[in-house]
Amino acid sequence: MTAAPAVAAAPRLELVGGGVERRGRWLLRGVDLVVDPATLISVVGPNGAGKSTLLRLLSGAWRLTEGRALLGGFDLAALPRRQAARRVAYVPQTVRPTFEFTVREFVTLGRYPHESRLFGTRSADREWIDRCLEDTDVLALAERRVTTLSGGELQRVLMARCLATEAEVLLLDEPTSNLDLAHGLDLLGLARNLVDEGRSVVLVLHDLNAAARFADRVAVLDAGALVAEGPPADVLNPDLLRRVFRVLAVPLAGSAAPVFDFEPLR
Amino acid sequence: MRIAFGGYRAGFWWYMAAGLALLLAFAGIGLFRGSVPLDGRDVLAVLARHLLPGEHGPADPRVDAIVWSLRAPRVVVAAMVGGCLALAGAQMQGLFRNPLASPGIVGTSTGAATGAVFALTFGLAGGFLLAAPLFAVGGALLSLLIVTRIATRDGYTPVTTLLLAGVALNALLAAVNSWLIARSWEQYEAARRIAYWMMGGVTDRGWVHAGMLLPGMVIGCAIAVWFARDLDLLLEGEEVAASLGVDIERAKRAVLWSAAILTGSAVAVSGVVGFVGLVVPHLVRLLLGPVHRRLLPAAFLTGAWFVVGADLLARTVAAPQEVFLGVVTAFVGAPFFLFLLVRHEGEVAVSR
Repeated sequence: MTAAPAVAAAPRLELVGGGVERRGRWLLRGVDLVVDPATLISVVGPNGAGKSTLLRLLSGAWRLTEGRALLGGFDLAALPRRQAARRVAYVPQTVRPTFEFTVREFVTLGRYPHESRLFGTRSADREWIDRCLEDTDVLALAERRVTTLSGGELQRVLMARCLATEAEVLLLDEPTSNLDLAHGLDLLGLARNLVDEGRSVVLVLHDLNAAARFADRVAVLDAGALVAEGPPADVLNPDLLRRVFRVLAVPLAGSAAPVFDFEPLR
Repeated sequence: MRIAFGGYRAGFWWYMAAGLALLLAFAGIGLFRGSVPLDGRDVLAVLARHLLPGEHGPADPRVDAIVWSLRAPRVVVAAMVGGCLALAGAQMQGLFRNPLASPGIVGTSTGAATGAVFALTFGLAGGFLLAAPLFAVGGALLSLLIVTRIATRDGYTPVTTLLLAGVALNALLAAVNSWLIARSWEQYEAARRIAYWMMGGVTDRGWVHAGMLLPGMVIGCAIAVWFARDLDLLLEGEEVAASLGVDIERAKRAVLWSAAILTGSAVAVSGVVGFVGLVVPHLVRLLLGPVHRRLLPAAFLTGAWFVVGADLLARTVAAPQEVFLGVVTAFVGAPFFLFLLVRHEGEVAVSR
């Protein structure tokens, strides 16, 4: 995979005392998180910790019950949606599409914040779409229906749609969950390249070792609270992993990153 | 539910050209044929007199009356009604992400019927020609207002709540309609007019009806086109749509009002013509795909020729008797829909 051309430095995205309540339950509360430009942050945590909720708040898709989300210092909620969408892109966990868009039509949905209401996509848009399809290795699928794609293909198509927005901050919810080993590593490599060019990426990962290898920083969520945040080497340690994930983490020797072998607690 | 046809997808411009040809053909037959046999040259002379600029010789007033005052407005109203209903249906199917949604799913067509029935039973329509249609449009808009008010919390209107509120209001208004009709049973004339109106049709519709439908059609279509792209994104769910830049509450409201105006105006002049708003958009989506910038205009055109063709059948199949238009659309639409399902059985995957 090749990366897209360089973009302007990403704006700083931050959550200040962010919390959200749904049906009388706090899904997330008191979260302070800064996504600096050109940083890859991996969000980890057990099921139900609030990882997806955190991405939704950062994307502006959900309104906060308390606290604020700031994009480049401006309140994200006060920004017109179109403007916000040009800067922050969000890929939710893969859901099977029900409507029969072709892959190209589906990826073109990502051009919405740049399109003219009456005239739609222009040829420059179409070239950019080709670029995004190529970068995510799905150009050959362009005329296929999204309803016929495999999980892995769909995941890459979602990534292409995300790139199509030209956003500088990408929020990816479990982008590797449906991918085989090679495509998973390719995707993380692509994310790394995007960050090296100046974008910021926040991704939810279940694979802690991948998080340690690819991410600049790791944010650990547990039961709706941010319990630790920092460079992987500072954050990931057997003590924290035992507390949050209830696993026994045995450090693996011979790696610069803090990677572990995991065993159940008995 | 997902209904997926195989790889086939028709070209948009070919589809539109074919639709336009069908519309013109059906309209032509509608002008030249009818219960009173007329000489083709006389009909042409009348059309030339009204449509072409310049001086024309005197036309036979009887032919003129039949062609220009009876047949022409009927064809035009049929096309407008079909277009409006199919367009509104396409919008509702997109908004609710459900191919089984109909134009009046949020209670607008039943509300329009209630408005008209109200005007007819209380004798308002007798005194004032426009009373029934105006009450119908009012009823449609009022229904939408009620449903959205009920379904909105803190400025957020979930579509599932909207759908359920619509179903409830539909049931309630249907009961109100029955009650109003039962009440008027003693007055034969009012009951007959209501029954005629409820079955749906464009019999005896004049230019005044086309004129009544026009503003609603123009406004509804304009809003529909302006928000066509938003519907594409809403198909992928509100969260995705919002993250890609759609102001979802604004888009939902715009689409709902547009569909209510279109449905209300159509029901106001033609009564309840069923099945067009359900089958036509669904069929067009199967052929052209779900991108609304193509789907909406194609649905409008298809609805137009479909209803003009159905009305042609309605007045010729049992001539000199007329069959109700709503009966014909259901009789033609439902089997065709089933035929499509059966014919493409191998390629149709219905899931969930």
